Amino acid sequence: MKRTNRRKIKTKLKLAVLNLLLITLCFLGLVPILYALSLSLSGSGGALSAGLTLWPEKVTIENYIKIITEEPFFIWLSNSVILSAATMVVAIGFAVVASYAFSRFRFKGRKGILKLLLVLNAFPQILSMFAIFRLFKTMEMLDSKIGLVIVYAGSMCIFSIWNMKGYFDTIPVEIEEASKIDGAGDFQLLWKIVLPLARPAVIVTAVMVLIFVWNEYLFATTFLLNEKSYTLAGGLYQLQSNDYSRSWPLFSAASIMVSVPILAVFFCIQKYMVSGLTAGGVKG
Amino acid sequence: MRRSNKMLPWLYSLPALMLVGMIIVFPILYTGYISLTNMNLFHWFDFEIIGLSNYARALLKLDAGFLSALLTTILWTVVNIVLQVLLAYFIALALNAQGLKLSRLYKTLLMFPWAMPAYVSILLWRVGMYNTEFGLLNKLLAAMGLEKVNFLSENVPAFISCLALNLWMALPFMIMMIDGALQSIDKSYYESAQLDGAGFLAKNIYITVPALRGIIAPAVIMTTFTTFKQFDIVYLLTMQKGALSGATLQTIITYAHQNAFVSNNYGLSSAVSIIIFMLIICFSMGTNKGLKEED
Repeated sequence: MKRTNRRKIKTKLKLAVLNLLLITLCFLGLVPILYALSLSLSGSGGALSAGLTLWPEKVTIENYIKIITEEPFFIWLSNSVILSAATMVVAIGFAVVASYAFSRFRFKGRKGILKLLLVLNAFPQILSMFAIFRLFKTMEMLDSKIGLVIVYAGSMCIFSIWNMKGYFDTIPVEIEEASKIDGAGDFQLLWKIVLPLARPAVIVTAVMVLIFVWNEYLFATTFLLNEKSYTLAGGLYQLQSNDYSRSWPLFSAASIMVSVPILAVFFCIQKYMVSGLTAGGVKG
Repeated sequence: MRRSNKMLPWLYSLPALMLVGMIIVFPILYTGYISLTNMNLFHWFDFEIIGLSNYARALLKLDAGFLSALLTTILWTVVNIVLQVLLAYFIALALNAQGLKLSRLYKTLLMFPWAMPAYVSILLWRVGMYNTEFGLLNKLLAAMGLEKVNFLSENVPAFISCLALNLWMALPFMIMMIDGALQSIDKSYYESAQLDGAGFLAKNIYITVPALRGIIAPAVIMTTFTTFKQFDIVYLLTMQKGALSGATLQTIITYAHQNAFVSNNYGLSSAVSIIIFMLIICFSMGTNKGLKEED
């Protein structure tokens, strides 16, 4: 009796310590975000107060109103939406048919191309940014949304092909064979039979392309030259690099507004993300 | 349906391949071409081919800065990966402890740093954590009666600051991978080990670690690549346009970027880019081989 009791107490104690440690860890992980949230709600003078609290003394949404009215927030937002939607359509549209071809057909050079794509994907895009910049400058494609969409779509194309090919590989081919016998044409087959089956993979890949464009600041600020054509990421980047000491609470408010949709989307597709990331990442 | 229609697959993959060719392949080739010239701000149009001297400058001249950047990058990658795997391993173990009721909640909360847009996180840390006036860390120091520290003004503190931030951003992914792998281990191993009287340490060394190795290897390798290629953290924390923090920390990628967009040494920058690409290719061929042997 005594022994089991003691053991129970011991496990309980162990769990209590673990809980405490994990709570501390979660808190530490959230502090930078909570601090930004608190600053964004505390008016314009909040940043300078010497206090250490994570709760604003007086809750006000003044900063949120300011960011909407005084900065071109909605222009940035619409730019972001246009860019990410266009990139998504181009990248997924091109990648879906390509990944279907790579999954279903056996043709000369298939393996070689797939491997080559992986190698190319390992090349950090920042390194060829200057080459693209110079190219666009001579072609006068700087400061154009079309140019950026092409760059983004190209950057995400390989990832999308690999990600969706992995899923196509898991769909049994019998269904397609059956519809083929029933007289479905090649394109009909892809559009009416395969795409609906692959919908989860297509949606997840599309969302990841969306997140990529939404979060991209470097190409956006290098290629788009005037403030009116900035995306949210570019605008925020600009906002903090101009004079962050003045606009810091403003920046916190803006970053909370930019992050909330991404957080929501992230937690919706989180469980699919891991498989896609590792499958596209290294497997050869 | 292993179909062997000759034209159709090419027709299907042509648009995507053309896009990749235009945005990925051609710029790489063009970078390779620029790396052989003396292109810079004064030679924007009338540059000439100078052979391999940009490569020689990057690899042989110590004061060009590339070799020290390479050293920093290797140190950065190794320290990051070791700390990440170790910390994530123990956190994942804690999350999988028997009888822990709130582990789902903890997992969700721990994922937040991963879900945040990276550039937002970095900028929030730059001012919200490290800044001398508004930074929480300095407020904490001041509250304890200590002197303020300028975390980003010198190389060693800046390196540690970048490291802390990278751990914060990258740990969630690693925790999630190890957590998933832990749950795939057959529980009966532990029961029989328990009967044999194995303690915590023995169970970890003889059961958990060997079982995990193969499963998490792809994730670790992928993280190694992304850590090696990490640009945003060092760039946004210490060297944004017009907001240099004082530290002169350079990784190879920031080095290439600085040379292209700040000091306008396009030839040198391109040569460095090609060298980095070669390094990455060698490294990935090595790991691919290693992974195959482990299977």
